[in-house]
Amino acid sequence: MFPRVSAIIPLRLLSPFPLCPGGSEAPAAAIVRLGAPHGTVRTKNEVHRYFGTNNVICNKKDEQSAPTRDISKETETQESVKENTKKDLLGIIKGMRVELSTAKVQTTRPPNRRQLKSIEATTGRLHKVPEDAPKKRTKSLSPELVAAAAAVADVLPFDKQMTKSELLRQLQQHEEVSKAQKDGERAKISVSNIISDMKIAKSSTARVSTRPVHQIQFDEGSNDYVGQKKTNDLKKSLRKNMLKGKRLNIFDLKAVTEEAPETETAPSLWDVEFAKQLAEVNEQPLQNGFEEMIQWTKEGKLWEFPINNEADQLGFLHMAAVEFLTARKSKD
Amino acid sequence: MAAVASGRCVGVRCRLCLMLTGQWTGLCGKAPSRFYSGSATLPKIEGANVTGIEEVVIPKKKTWDKVAVLQALASTVNRDSTAAPYAFQDDPYLIPTSSVESRSFLLAKKSGANAAKFIINSYPKYFQKDTAEPHIPCLMPEYFEPQIEGISEAALKERIKLKKVRASVDMFDQLLQAGTAVSLETSNSLLDLLCYYGDQEPSADNHFHQSEKSEELEEAIEENNEKSKKAGHQFGVTWRAKNNAERIFALMLEKNSHSYCTMIRGMVKHRALVQALNLYTELLNNRLHADVYTFNALIEATALSMNEKLEDKWNKILELLKEMAAQKVKPNLQTFNTILKCLRRFYSFGRLPALQTFREMKAIGIEPSLATYHYIIQLFYQHENPSKGSSLIIYDIMNELKGKKFSPKDPDDDMFFQSAMRVCSVLRDLELAYQVHGLLNTGDNWKFIGPDHRRNFYYSKFFSLLCLMEQIDVTLKWYKDLIPSVFLPRSQTLIDLLQALDVANRLEVIPQIWKDSKEYGHSFRNALKEEILMLMARDRHPPELQVAFADCAADIRSTYESQDARQTAPDWPANPLNYIAVLFLRGGRTQEAWKMLGLFRKHNKIPGNELLDEFMDSAKASNNPAQAIEIVKLASAFSLPVCEGLAQRVMADFVISQEQKEALGDLTSLTSDSDSDSDIGEGK
Repeated sequence: MFPRVSAIIPLRLLSPFPLCPGGSEAPAAAIVRLGAPHGTVRTKNEVHRYFGTNNVICNKKDEQSAPTRDISKETETQESVKENTKKDLLGIIKGMRVELSTAKVQTTRPPNRRQLKSIEATTGRLHKVPEDAPKKRTKSLSPELVAAAAAVADVLPFDKQMTKSELLRQLQQHEEVSKAQKDGERAKISVSNIISDMKIAKSSTARVSTRPVHQIQFDEGSNDYVGQKKTNDLKKSLRKNMLKGKRLNIFDLKAVTEEAPETETAPSLWDVEFAKQLAEVNEQPLQNGFEEMIQWTKEGKLWEFPINNEADQLGFLHMAAVEFLTARKSKD
Repeated sequence: MAAVASGRCVGVRCRLCLMLTGQWTGLCGKAPSRFYSGSATLPKIEGANVTGIEEVVIPKKKTWDKVAVLQALASTVNRDSTAAPYAFQDDPYLIPTSSVESRSFLLAKKSGANAAKFIINSYPKYFQKDTAEPHIPCLMPEYFEPQIEGISEAALKERIKLKKVRASVDMFDQLLQAGTAVSLETSNSLLDLLCYYGDQEPSADNHFHQSEKSEELEEAIEENNEKSKKAGHQFGVTWRAKNNAERIFALMLEKNSHSYCTMIRGMVKHRALVQALNLYTELLNNRLHADVYTFNALIEATALSMNEKLEDKWNKILELLKEMAAQKVKPNLQTFNTILKCLRRFYSFGRLPALQTFREMKAIGIEPSLATYHYIIQLFYQHENPSKGSSLIIYDIMNELKGKKFSPKDPDDDMFFQSAMRVCSVLRDLELAYQVHGLLNTGDNWKFIGPDHRRNFYYSKFFSLLCLMEQIDVTLKWYKDLIPSVFLPRSQTLIDLLQALDVANRLEVIPQIWKDSKEYGHSFRNALKEEILMLMARDRHPPELQVAFADCAADIRSTYESQDARQTAPDWPANPLNYIAVLFLRGGRTQEAWKMLGLFRKHNKIPGNELLDEFMDSAKASNNPAQAIEIVKLASAFSLPVCEGLAQRVMADFVISQEQKEALGDLTSLTSDSDSDSDIGEGK
């Protein structure tokens, strides 16, 4: 079942933005988490989505959860069950963190992709599956599978029965598919087909190219080739482009922020002139009489208000008074 | 409140208080009972006051800035949208009506102040009397002549401080000849002076010196202008080979990194790029370190050097940055802004590096300034080709900047708003324009609108966009708000507004727009007048409106007439003649309309067919055959093909005498004769 899985080798999916094209060519890898959304309320639809059924959009979670299960199922059918690893596994599920291998992904990728496709295809039919079908199907599944499915269903905060039956149905389908595959049929999978099958909630997918060359430029170059009809969705999807992406990687944050011992030197002519230029940048004509008075006060042309009797400014009055008195005296 | 107030009454007035408080009994509850105790010491107790407080909290002392009161007052004053900006004198003659006038008025004001300062500084001995108390230093004469005589380092320092380039160099030379050693610090500050000003005297603006030095400066500038036209340097000062800076640099026995750095910076500033880079190599050979400003200059030098491929240049810049990092020189905002500024010349190749630079900047915690975003906008929207599709980066930028307040960090910060608005205008996105305008009005950001011409550009673009995209009522509100208190419209702006009115079918506003146009000095803009006339004359309107239009047309006609009076060869354009005539007719000014007909002949302009028809209708309405015949005469004078039709109409609709019939016949035959004559002519 999940025995292989427990051999913890990191698996990394392609990081954020172009998920869809990237998953194919580059050695796809992701840190996969069956993250338990504690306390979140989910509807039926979301259940499907969580299990990667309905909108297989460029949605991180879907992609993560889908391959995970697929990988796990695949390994299950290929390998025999081991008791001790199964226990580990249940513990892992309880902790809700699974790490999978890169290598596994590569070898099992084609089936994964096919699985995605078939899941896509069967999406619509999920609700219509009659009740007795699950019973029939679970017969061909191994008890360990069923137990694991039950454990997962317990941990997840959805309707347990529903969850369990969903899971089991998925597993069953997977079994059938992989059997068919074993029979020798190798469907030709082209990534572009899969991508075109994937429902993307944005308007134009024409731009999405799977070639690595275009892919690298996609981050930066997408700014250029946008047609006249840009939808709001498209705008939002590209919004963070400016900030995300490669940088020069020349400077290091730590090196830059550490305080180097700086010698205190008097500002040179360059600094003084630069400061003057800067001050001129946001100079604007005065907007009202008060601003003019502020300007004059700063220049020293106007007394400060409220008048401060203790300040030197009135000292001269004393001097003037003294002069006046002495002048009077001299007259007399 | 009454209780407290009366509580403060000192002794003598207590009785009065008691009487007063008697009336307030019902309201004040406890207070009156206290008064009835009649104690003379009451006031103090009242001052200490209230019953329940146990603890006194002493607030911290606030210190107020000397301008705090004024600032508080200033913050209560909003812009008056009906008034001219405060900087102008509040006199009808002295309020500018166009942007050209506005600029010249402000310059006049400033130059007056400069002239006064110049006089005071040139003749200080007449301005010694100081009657101001307290003393106002900035109104007293300033001294620009060096006071210290003799040859000494102190004298040299003084001359450097006063920015006397020649005098400093001479003093330095004299000191060296005398054998006195000049300290490294002083030598460095001399080098600073020489490098900053490129071995020229600082420009005359600074010091009001009308000595022979400034004349030399002008000559030097002219020479250099020819050399440096391509370099496009601000003042046209280029770095002459073997100038004083280089000479003194060579003479210096001891050089530290500051010496090298200032030389490099000077060379780059005055476009001696290769020399700067060479000097940098020398600096490294001497195991010295450059500072961040020098690196910035070197980056600029690398980017401006000619004859190199863009990729090579970019790689060299990257190498410089790596050297910076290796030498642990911290980059500053100017580093990145310089890179972005230079990348503009790289056109589309520069886009990816620019984004990488921007991200680097953010990653190491340097906050971008408005200039940064300005350079990015310029890079991405340089050559606008809307058919190809535009970059969306402006949306990223505006989201990034939402609600932020800025302070000046870079001399190019005041370029941002006009480039942002230009992009909005090109993209025809009104919502984005509102965002930009909102950012402008956040905090003190409005100060970054820049000088006059930039402000006018910004608002012209903004208003044109409003005219194009916004509902007419909102547009008219903006019109009232912005004009004339914020900017004065060009004629094109008014034409845009007229077109908006046309689209929204609000033609009744047009006479008001014409009145405003006259106020803003556009009385003689033919394009504007034609547009107004065309819009008014195009369709028929209800009578009151027609009368208003006719008045407006009369006004416009008078402008044409006064234009005529000025010019030696008066020339009315054809279309306005047509429009004005038709408007007069429809507005009931028939007499004047007929006078207009005379003008057609005078200026040799052809009247339109519809116009003639309308005149015919009018003649019919007033039952005036003579007028009708006038029309036919006019038509035949121009040999218009419609002449025949008109003549027939006259015959049909009017009761005319035999003479008139014959006259008509002559007229029409004249035209047909002329045809037949031409036939005969050809036949021969």
